[in-house]
Amino acid sequence: MQINIHAPYKDRVQQALGDSNLRAAVSKATDRMTDARLAAMGAIEGQTLRAQVRQMKEHVLRQWPDYLLQLEMNLRRNGCIVHWAEGIADAQEIVKDIALQNGADLVVKSKSMATEEIHLNQALEEAGLRVVETDLGEYIIQLADEPPSHIVAPVIHKRLEEIAEVFEEKLDMPPTREASKMTALARAKLRREFFDAGMGISGCNFAIAETGTICIVTNEGNGRMVSSMPRVYVAVMGIEKIVPTVEDAFLQLQALCRSATGQQLTVYCSMTSGPRQAGDADGPEQVHVVLLDNGRSGMLARGYGEALLCIRCGACLNVCPVYQEIGGHAYGGVYNGPIGAVISPALAPEIARFKELPHATSLCGACREACPVQIDLPRLLLDLRSDLVEQGAAPKLEGWGIKGYARVMSSRRMYEKLGKLASISSNLYANLSGGNIQFLPPPLSGWTAYRDFAPFAPKSFREWWRERKLQ
Amino acid sequence: MNVRDTILSRLRETLRQPGLPFPAPESVALAPEERMTVTHAAGDRWALAERFAQELSALKGSCELLETAPEARLAILARLYRWMEEEQADRKTANAERPEDWDALCWPEALLEVEGLPLALQEMGFRRIEPTDLHDPQQRERIRLIRAGITSVEAAFASTGSFVVGSGGLKSRAASLTPFRHLALIPFSKLYPTGEAWLAEKRSAGELDACLRQNRNLSIITGPSKSADIEGNLTMGVHGPKVVHAILFDDGQR
Repeated sequence: MQINIHAPYKDRVQQALGDSNLRAAVSKATDRMTDARLAAMGAIEGQTLRAQVRQMKEHVLRQWPDYLLQLEMNLRRNGCIVHWAEGIADAQEIVKDIALQNGADLVVKSKSMATEEIHLNQALEEAGLRVVETDLGEYIIQLADEPPSHIVAPVIHKRLEEIAEVFEEKLDMPPTREASKMTALARAKLRREFFDAGMGISGCNFAIAETGTICIVTNEGNGRMVSSMPRVYVAVMGIEKIVPTVEDAFLQLQALCRSATGQQLTVYCSMTSGPRQAGDADGPEQVHVVLLDNGRSGMLARGYGEALLCIRCGACLNVCPVYQEIGGHAYGGVYNGPIGAVISPALAPEIARFKELPHATSLCGACREACPVQIDLPRLLLDLRSDLVEQGAAPKLEGWGIKGYARVMSSRRMYEKLGKLASISSNLYANLSGGNIQFLPPPLSGWTAYRDFAPFAPKSFREWWRERKLQ
Repeated sequence: MNVRDTILSRLRETLRQPGLPFPAPESVALAPEERMTVTHAAGDRWALAERFAQELSALKGSCELLETAPEARLAILARLYRWMEEEQADRKTANAERPEDWDALCWPEALLEVEGLPLALQEMGFRRIEPTDLHDPQQRERIRLIRAGITSVEAAFASTGSFVVGSGGLKSRAASLTPFRHLALIPFSKLYPTGEAWLAEKRSAGELDACLRQNRNLSIITGPSKSADIEGNLTMGVHGPKVVHAILFDDGQR
């Protein structure tokens, strides 16, 4: 079943909860990735690694403009063409222009959250280009016409049988349940595309300021392909993805791999420092780097800068009890899980656009413990809730309720009287309905729709205390 | 003001605000002497070579450790021949042999670290293919079906079973990327305990910056290409080589 990501939030969640395949697939995969991460971080001084990567990245954000300028200077020195994009529209326009100017009609892409964020595929397709996703998981969901549902494992929501159906339906593959056969078919199909494409596009896991180097991390090798085979290579990077030195890059690389998939290192870390030089056997003739803001500088200004430390490993998704139940699509944005619940609203021009997401959490704190850069996600989620209230985006009824609660709680007499009333009436109602309260009128019906409501204690603490003293 | 300046001045303005909750005003860079080595390895060259082999094998790669370069040369020939036989056996057709079975996508002789290798390959009947321009359609098509690639490395890290391949000149990126099988030649002098140790040596020799800029693409490779995207099922050889074999040999240097 495919979740309509444009449906209202509650409908998306209902659809996800009703899909047993999705829940089975997501919980199996997230448990596996969490076990792998715990083993990998436990095998080393994991806490030191987390603290050091955080320190390094926090410093970058403190000196952010300087590092951006250093990166830009070094990219240019290496012969890269640097573009700056404020938002979705101009980023799309920049990439589209590069493609059209170079006469590229086929584009191969390596998995990238930044390009998902700017809906690049759609824009390029509208301009008449053919865009092929080459990460195996992304390729499958592109065939199935769905968005990714996890930051590092885009097709996590599908079971093997469902993926086999996609291969049968879209690629005329003879029925099989063997993942290796599906992979071999994808390899053959995509190999042709790599050789024919006029342009390759990737995101950027991190860019090294001191050398002007774009690093992309993959296990399959598609990152190397898109940055090496076509004549033109475009990297779209969020402006926060900077590390100062090569050694910092290597440190972050290891934190990323261990946290994302539990590997010591991913199979490929491909570091590009400019286009091919005269006499080189291969490599792109042009390397373009698009530095994308799209709300990041605003995030810093609005007090959500800590979320800019994120290295997109997906560890917080894997441990989140909410993500495990509903998967990625129910979040409705490009980013999902706890980090998505923070950055989808924080990146948007109005946080109210994603006003439900800060509530899509139990605030259990598992995400904070898993995060390789120690982002305090529960606190950021509470900050967002508070901002939503201040902006008047919270439901009116909630506001009235809180005001009433404040009045009752600030007067002992009123508290005791209302407590007595609640106790008598709830116990009466509970006795009539045979023990617990199974139905309450709106807005409290939201509670009783899923669980019983226990009546208040028949006696208040004060009454009970008084009686004991008298005995 | 253009987009670049708008973004930069916005960031500057925000960072000047005294009450900004993040990042802390006192944030300092991570000092080089503080930075941790994440995965450790230690020992003499042979111990490191054994650790490398152990790590690479755990990732479904394979490894041979040899005492001299001439032994390495023999091992290369034997490996290529065995691969060819395996390929042909896999095809299960009456006429299993294809002309490209005898092709090896190579880096130039001077960079392969094993003296006399080209002649030895030639005597065995293998053809070395050394593309000069892979944007030339003919050369591109020529390498498409080649099943084996041979390269040396910039460095190898024992602690993770990784090696670094460079590019530039006739060091084609394709040789370690497009074939189904990759043979990496690693003299002991290129073997480091860890990635951090290699970076430290390059840094102190003042060569790190040039190393990155001259190799327009530098790739750290750790095992054969793989994916677990299909419901967690591990599959090998998605886009890069499915088979990665490293030949480590004592070149008597360092």
